[in-house]
Amino acid sequence: MAKKKRPLLDQLKEGKYPSFVKEMEKMAEKKPAVEDHLNLLERSYEDKTVHWKHGGIVGVRGYGGGVIGRYSDLGDEFPNVKEFHTMRVNQPSGWFYSTETLRKLCDIWEKHGSGITNMHGATGDAILLGTTTEHLQPCFDDLSANGFDLGGSGSDLRTPSACVGPARCEHACFDSLDLCNHLTQEYQDELHRPMWPYKFKIKISACPNDCVSSIARADMSIIGTWRDEIRVDQDMVKEYANNGKDIEGILASCPTDCISYDTEKKEINIDNENCVRCMHCINKLPKALRVGKEKGATILLGGKAPIVQSAFLSWVIVPFMKLESPYDELKDLLERIWDWWDEHAKVRERVGELIYRKGMRVFLKEVGLEPDARMVKYPRANPYIFWWPEEVQQND
Amino acid sequence: MTNVAKTDIGPPLYKDQLPEIIKNNYGQWKYHEHVKPGVLKHVAENGDELYTVRVGSPRLLSVETLRWFADLADKYCDGHLRFTSRHNVEFLLTDASKIDALIEEVEAEGWPVGGTGNSLKNLIHTQGWIHCHSAAIDASGIVKSVMDDLYDYFKKDDLPAKLKISLACCLNMCGAVHCSDIAILGIHRTVPKINDEEVSKACEIPNVVASCPTGAIRPNPKKKSVTINEEKCMYCGNCFTVCPGLKIMDPDNDGVAIFVGGKTSNARSGPRFSRLAIPFIPNEPPRWDSTVKAIRNLVELWVENARPGERYGEWIERIGWEKFFDMAGLPFTDKHIDDFIFSVPTFRSTTQFKY
Amino acid sequence: MAEELSREELKEKVVEYLKTVDKAKNKDIATKLGVKKREVDKAVNELAKEDIVEFLYIGTSYVKLKDK
Repeated sequence: MAKKKRPLLDQLKEGKYPSFVKEMEKMAEKKPAVEDHLNLLERSYEDKTVHWKHGGIVGVRGYGGGVIGRYSDLGDEFPNVKEFHTMRVNQPSGWFYSTETLRKLCDIWEKHGSGITNMHGATGDAILLGTTTEHLQPCFDDLSANGFDLGGSGSDLRTPSACVGPARCEHACFDSLDLCNHLTQEYQDELHRPMWPYKFKIKISACPNDCVSSIARADMSIIGTWRDEIRVDQDMVKEYANNGKDIEGILASCPTDCISYDTEKKEINIDNENCVRCMHCINKLPKALRVGKEKGATILLGGKAPIVQSAFLSWVIVPFMKLESPYDELKDLLERIWDWWDEHAKVRERVGELIYRKGMRVFLKEVGLEPDARMVKYPRANPYIFWWPEEVQQND
Repeated sequence: MTNVAKTDIGPPLYKDQLPEIIKNNYGQWKYHEHVKPGVLKHVAENGDELYTVRVGSPRLLSVETLRWFADLADKYCDGHLRFTSRHNVEFLLTDASKIDALIEEVEAEGWPVGGTGNSLKNLIHTQGWIHCHSAAIDASGIVKSVMDDLYDYFKKDDLPAKLKISLACCLNMCGAVHCSDIAILGIHRTVPKINDEEVSKACEIPNVVASCPTGAIRPNPKKKSVTINEEKCMYCGNCFTVCPGLKIMDPDNDGVAIFVGGKTSNARSGPRFSRLAIPFIPNEPPRWDSTVKAIRNLVELWVENARPGERYGEWIERIGWEKFFDMAGLPFTDKHIDDFIFSVPTFRSTTQFKY
Repeated sequence: MAEELSREELKEKVVEYLKTVDKAKNKDIATKLGVKKREVDKAVNELAKEDIVEFLYIGTSYVKLKDK
């Protein structure tokens, strides 16, 4: 059969940035499914709409998540993408790969699927894009035999992900990679077998720069911070000064005006009591300034995208927690939160929406957390104060 | 059954995936420097130096390309590499003298090195028409078109601050774009079309009713289906997610909305949402010219006017939103004023503003 | 239900219940059987690993008997 022409997609092979169309064409020579995938996409470009349907039940033995069923609505015309399911493969913490591991993944996916991947999906998994129902189990068998496992999907714990952390960053306030791996291993049941009202995402950033945007993209955001003083190396301050760095200009952006520069002595002075640990000065002067020594994380909860009740940024529920293996305090809190959410949430209600509906007062009491002024921007302005029955005198 | 796959083994252990220099200096990094655009240098307490070369990728990669990355990592990096949360590939070198040869080899094949420091970061995005059932816009094609146009900003690092642009192809926002400097979002603008037969066969009516955030969906017992109050519908598509019989795609009316000014880092100012700048641009495959042009205008406006170090949203907060709309030449319309459940705190209850 | 069910007894009851319906949410199974949802979750996990039930996702999770 003569190859179909794709004049619209061809235009996306032009230009300087790497072309996803060229990537697909690399596989289309070997894989009829990718040739059909390209032709289906060309049709979408003509019609300005999707040609994929909702998934049905597909999966691998024993799991409820990890595979996203996908069927084309033009399966008769493009039979090789009639079934074109996605497999989510749990990434190693921090997205590090030895070339041996990466090649194994490539070989398995070329054998069982389209050979097209996403490195990586928004949640963190390596995405294997497109295979048939009958290939799912054999593909999983090979993945498992080679040390890989699937990630989450549906109403389960989604694959946790973490920033590069102590592997390559001087700002790391705890071991984000170890914590990510630890939680992933600890909660395999929750990851693979969806039992909850809806999804639950965990993202881990080892400092307040939040390089994995956990505050916006996770139900539980774990963000590294410290409690003591920023460490200053005055020799390095002098080196920056002698190299013409605009130290005063940089320090002028301090949000609390707690840092100052002595131009005569070429020294930095910090009023640490008023520092909010925003990272600005440390980011700009990394040789001279470092995070403190008493390190841990702020635990925030509730972040989500707009569906249903608007997007939320996670908010503080524990201002500071030490995070050291085996992370018992964190896991204990996490399990209390899951139990409370699972018991009270409606179908497809994220934990942040449940707290919004029930109130922080109820949430804090029922999961056993103490209120703290660091949890709010402002205290309540309205007078609708709720009281627990024991807090008022009961008149019969 | 023979040869049953082991379940619940979890991902490959990250420790086994790390290069020697990282194993040796794990948690012992002292500081880092920007060597040049796309190249970082991390220095350990013991003086060890690690160089990172960051390569932009379209996220959608063939196994052929991944194997080529692996070949490069074997040749230059002792057999290890990593990916970033924004789909970049990072090559990790210990020998500074090999950096330029690696960059030359990578760029000769058309893969750009950049995206560090005050540059345009690689665009993050969702599946779009490649593989999603609810996409209002394509993802990869728009990202390709925008990155082609803004290519130089990825290669250089002299922007006022970092610039993160993200795309989500519908407001489920698998890409969680809502805190980006510039967010490209696929939106629907028309009420789902009810296919009574499919609704009755494939959907749980109470779930469908409960899925609607505005209470616009009511049961229609006669047809074992539902009705939709068109005035209440805000085209979120949540009902379509739980019920395939309520198709929301509409090629003539779906398109792009652009939001600006979000961030997630805590540096200086706290994390914040992106806000609506342009409510609608039609789908224009294959190169989305109007969207590309609109984003270039937004980027250039910020480049010309922001102070050094100011993220997009920090710049707007300083000058004020009314100034931003004036300077951008964008009409401010009724679409820009929030009318969902948390709207009132976004209204301005002060006499302080600019002309 | 006042008496304590062993895990195996609960699994049997879950399977019996699933025979009577197309699909069910764990929460509903727990209500029907008068046990804690957490217990049903554990039973269903084991049944899934034994390849007796499978999961179904339509906006939220359901379980059903395999090949029913």
